[in-house]
Amino acid sequence: MKPPSESIRSLGHWGVTTIRTFGSAGLMACATISALAHPREWRREAFVQAKAIGIDSLPLVLFVGMLSGSILAQQSGYQFNDLPMWVVGQAVAAGMLTELAPLLSAIIMAGRVGAGIGAELGTMKVTDQIDALRTLGRDPVMELVVPRVVAGAIVMLPIVIFANIIGIWSGWFTAIALLPMTTTEYIYGVQTYNYAPAVIFTLIKAVFFGITITFTGCYVGLRAEGGAAGVGRSARNTVVAIIVALMVLDVILAPIYKAVS
Amino acid sequence: MIEIVGLRKTLNGKRVLDGVDLDIHEGTSLVIMGPSGTGKSVLLKHIVGLFDPDEGDVCVEGMSVPSANGKQIREIRSKISYVFQNSALFDSMTTAQNIQLGLTAEHCRKVHALTDPLVLEAISHVNLEPEVLLLLPSELSGGMQKRVAIARAIVGRQKYILYDEPTTGLDPVNANVINRLIAQVQRETGCTSVIVTHDVESAFFLGDRIVLLADGKVRASGTPDELRHSNDPVVQKFLHPTLEEKTIGG
Repeated sequence: MKPPSESIRSLGHWGVTTIRTFGSAGLMACATISALAHPREWRREAFVQAKAIGIDSLPLVLFVGMLSGSILAQQSGYQFNDLPMWVVGQAVAAGMLTELAPLLSAIIMAGRVGAGIGAELGTMKVTDQIDALRTLGRDPVMELVVPRVVAGAIVMLPIVIFANIIGIWSGWFTAIALLPMTTTEYIYGVQTYNYAPAVIFTLIKAVFFGITITFTGCYVGLRAEGGAAGVGRSARNTVVAIIVALMVLDVILAPIYKAVS
Repeated sequence: MIEIVGLRKTLNGKRVLDGVDLDIHEGTSLVIMGPSGTGKSVLLKHIVGLFDPDEGDVCVEGMSVPSANGKQIREIRSKISYVFQNSALFDSMTTAQNIQLGLTAEHCRKVHALTDPLVLEAISHVNLEPEVLLLLPSELSGGMQKRVAIARAIVGRQKYILYDEPTTGLDPVNANVINRLIAQVQRETGCTSVIVTHDVESAFFLGDRIVLLADGKVRASGTPDELRHSNDPVVQKFLHPTLEEKTIGG
């Protein structure tokens, strides 16, 4: 067992590291926000990034959205068997819009896009490309971070919208195929759900999640050290950090939604 | 002129630079030589502000690099080009785009890299065919990557060019080509060259003045002839290593 003084030292070290991490992330966030004021510098690269992020990820997001809508319909049909069957439509719409579509899309994006950004920027860092940018008088935040963050925020909107649509559609398909209910009942259930605030909420979540994924990928990647192993660590740490950040953000956003709606 | 005064830097608990004083005069070629791990590259990175010193100062044309604000550091960097040890070309960009990065962002937005006359001039300067401009760095050999990195360094016609181990990792033929190219650039542009190397032959070929770093300090400084005839045993040991030391040092 560790002596108490060593434990206190470890705790202190962890505290200092955490404060430093949040401090430097905060500084990078400020630099990113101030760089937004110069769209001429980043808009072309943001467009390139948006294409790469969105088109590559869409098929997988749609597939997972379809599965989650189907699972939600089956589970709510089995669990709420004492209630009228239109409740299934309401449960699928509520579940997809408020939670599953944005969160699952974001988790997929964390694995595909976040890890990719972490590895790409990590490789650039360990091969001196980031230092080269600096010596060439370019700002890595302006050149690399801002285009990715803007692209992430914009691209997550259609991705989450499509995930919602396909999830609610697959919920309907599953419900009429496997449960004793009709299309009319399902549509009635979806319509009874007060979905206007949920739609706004799902879009707000999409933007926040898109920013979180790309910003975290950039932040972790730009701090990579130590050759190929460092790049591997960077990709892994990016995914872990994004998923933790998404969950924390989700917990924070849920009561805000309840209060607003 | 670049002035380095009392530069001290500790990295990972090890004192890498321990009070380095150095003046780099305009239009000359200075070689910083020394065994691996003696802080040659760290010294070079202080000049462009990639490292902040623990103590001491680096001044480029009278402007202190460590205390420069964002605008000042951009101004300092606009006068300096840096050729990295591993070339540091951008994987996702063509050779033309990589070279054009040595020019201003405004210029890059206005002129297409492939037809940019400055890029074409730079590529011919480093004796590469224009066809290379379309290729990605991964499609180039190590020697060609180095030449592209030098083209990127000279395209903006900066006053100072810093070379970090320009011949490391190259075979003797390519190393010779790169050395001749550095000398040619120095002659034709009249720029100030600072070359970090542990290759004695390159150092004597390129340097108007040679500085030997050892244990984080300037151990010896002078013209190639002065160093060749130095009585300092450390200098002589570095210039004439035994076969065993050569083998261990790689």
